[in-house]
Amino acid sequence: MYKLTGVTKLYHKGRRVVPAVRDLNLTIEDGGWLAVQGRTGSGKSTLLNLLGGLDRATEGSIKLDGTDLGTLREEPLTRLRAGSVGFVFQTFNLVATLSAAENVEAALIPLGVGHSARRERVAAALEQVGLADRAAHLPSELSGGQQQRVAIARALVKEPKVLLADEPTGNLDEDTRNDIIALLERLWSDRGLTLVLITHDTAVARRAQRTGVMNKGRLTVGQTPAPPPGRPR
Amino acid sequence: MFFLTYLQRELRRRARQAVFIALGLALGVGLVVTVSAASAGVNKAQSKVLSTLYGVGTDVTVTGGNPGRPTGAQATPPPVVPGKSFSNILLSYAAVSASKAAQVAQVAHLSGVSAAAGVLSFSDVSMTFGSGSNPPVVNSLTIDGVGTGRPSLGPLSGATLISGHAFTTADSDAAVAVVDSGYAASHSLKAGSAVSIDNVKYTVIGIVRQPQQGGTPTDVYIPLARAAEAVAAAGWGAQANDVNTIYVSAASAADVSAVSREISALLPGTTVTTASSLASEVTGSLSTASKLINDLGRWLSVLVLIAAFALAALLTMAAVARRAREFGTLKAIGWRSRRIIAQVLGESLALGVAGAAAGVGLGFAGAAIIAAFAPALPATVTQNDGSGVAQVQQASAGSSLSGTTSHVVSVVLHPSVTIGVIVLAVVLAVAGGLLAGVLGSWRISQLRPADALARVA
Repeated sequence: MYKLTGVTKLYHKGRRVVPAVRDLNLTIEDGGWLAVQGRTGSGKSTLLNLLGGLDRATEGSIKLDGTDLGTLREEPLTRLRAGSVGFVFQTFNLVATLSAAENVEAALIPLGVGHSARRERVAAALEQVGLADRAAHLPSELSGGQQQRVAIARALVKEPKVLLADEPTGNLDEDTRNDIIALLERLWSDRGLTLVLITHDTAVARRAQRTGVMNKGRLTVGQTPAPPPGRPR
Repeated sequence: MFFLTYLQRELRRRARQAVFIALGLALGVGLVVTVSAASAGVNKAQSKVLSTLYGVGTDVTVTGGNPGRPTGAQATPPPVVPGKSFSNILLSYAAVSASKAAQVAQVAHLSGVSAAAGVLSFSDVSMTFGSGSNPPVVNSLTIDGVGTGRPSLGPLSGATLISGHAFTTADSDAAVAVVDSGYAASHSLKAGSAVSIDNVKYTVIGIVRQPQQGGTPTDVYIPLARAAEAVAAAGWGAQANDVNTIYVSAASAADVSAVSREISALLPGTTVTTASSLASEVTGSLSTASKLINDLGRWLSVLVLIAAFALAALLTMAAVARRAREFGTLKAIGWRSRRIIAQVLGESLALGVAGAAAGVGLGFAGAAIIAAFAPALPATVTQNDGSGVAQVQQASAGSSLSGTTSHVVSVVLHPSVTIGVIVLAVVLAVAGGLLAGVLGSWRISQLRPADALARVA
């Protein structure tokens, strides 16, 4: 469970101080799905970075299962990310020189998983995202949607508690976007993940349990309206 | 396995840059190897020049000063009668010590000395007065009185026996001689022939060839005791009982300076000469080449190496900066900074090793080119009285030995690449690669993941 209390993140640009996140209070239950919308520069990505321990809050506390991320030094924070947090980025962020399988395998390296166990888990992860036959392909040989599937496989191969997705469909066409969101929804449901998803797309946001709106660093969270009949939540 | 796969793929991706870095390191390393090889060759050549003067295995020579004038019959110059001949025995140097103690044995027992051998060097100079305005004709026979039991040290140490046999201990008081091949050829001498020194006949038992090119080796070698008799008979008095040159072999190169000082204290008034002091006397093309290689060559190779290191560092830092987002992603998925640094260092190390291998190859090639195309370099050693071995070229009756003597020796450079230089080259290249990797990866390791991810790929 995530518990954010009075979280503020300030950036110093020369003499100017830019508040990216202001006095944010938020609780995300285990297995919950929060979608966060907002304009560009509203602080959405900053919030995601704080949740994932990629950045540190200027004020306040961010607790994940009772552990205050702000009190952890770099190494334990990295270990926590390695085992518990998966990331999916808008630009996929695959290593260009590694194949799909090797990109997924990269997530298991910090966990000290043995070679044959790594191969098995990588194969299973790629199978889950429907890319078992693309394991040896480089990112440059995959479509945008396929690359994002590889990124999702990389995020989930370590069986994290939390999946943080920063505009995972931002660079994809509509059909591919729907496929990716459907995949994420299925995985969230099957694995009981805690999912926080940043999106511009209201249609995507509506599929979440809760929707939040970031505006100038402040987050307003509401319950997502029920979907129209015939559409899953 | 993943580490190597990632490393290999990344180097292949930026192959051109990787080749550039490796070549830069190779160039610097190759220059270091070539210059070191050439320097070793020059030092060897200089040693060869110097060893022609005082023999193989000699680290220090001790020579007496001006021998002065003989007493007795030789003290009075003969009347000038056209067509009449006379001969004089002239010492090359004064005796090493005025005392009758066994100076050679004393020197041999000094700390740091492994062996010492005494030599009595002199000349048998004959002059035939010319008639009318014709100048006199002077013939000079150079002679070294040597110990018959220690061929490994002294003027015969580097000689090659080409016929007959060398001295044995049984010859210590015999009227026998070993003759230089050049002198033997010009006087039609062979083993069994006779050679005359101050009207005393010596039987030639062996003919030797000295390792000299362009220098003037001693003509005849006779047992030391016989040399002492000849010098005494010529009226040189007490100096006949002593040697006028001591050849000394040090226990190690590190002992040479200390040995030199000890001998100077033991035998004041003598000239103590080492290879390093003689090296400063070497002039000519060899000396110029030595200066070029040791001064200019070394500085040039250091500069090129620094440039190669700088280039490697800059290119690596640029490559790492371009991969900021990649490294940020790896940090995000749980890679520690240490692992990322190890990856970058591994890539740099691979380039360093490649640069080292190529550099050693270039170094060998450079040394081979020098060996193949370098001309023979003349080297001249000019020496004053009592300094080193001076050979009497010409002497007139009644004059004491004085003046300078020059030896011109021509040597071919043989650059040699030693294991030590190869190890140094590998260490330099690897260090260069690692330095580049450390500089490149340190910045990234300091970057927060969020900042790294925000970088444009």
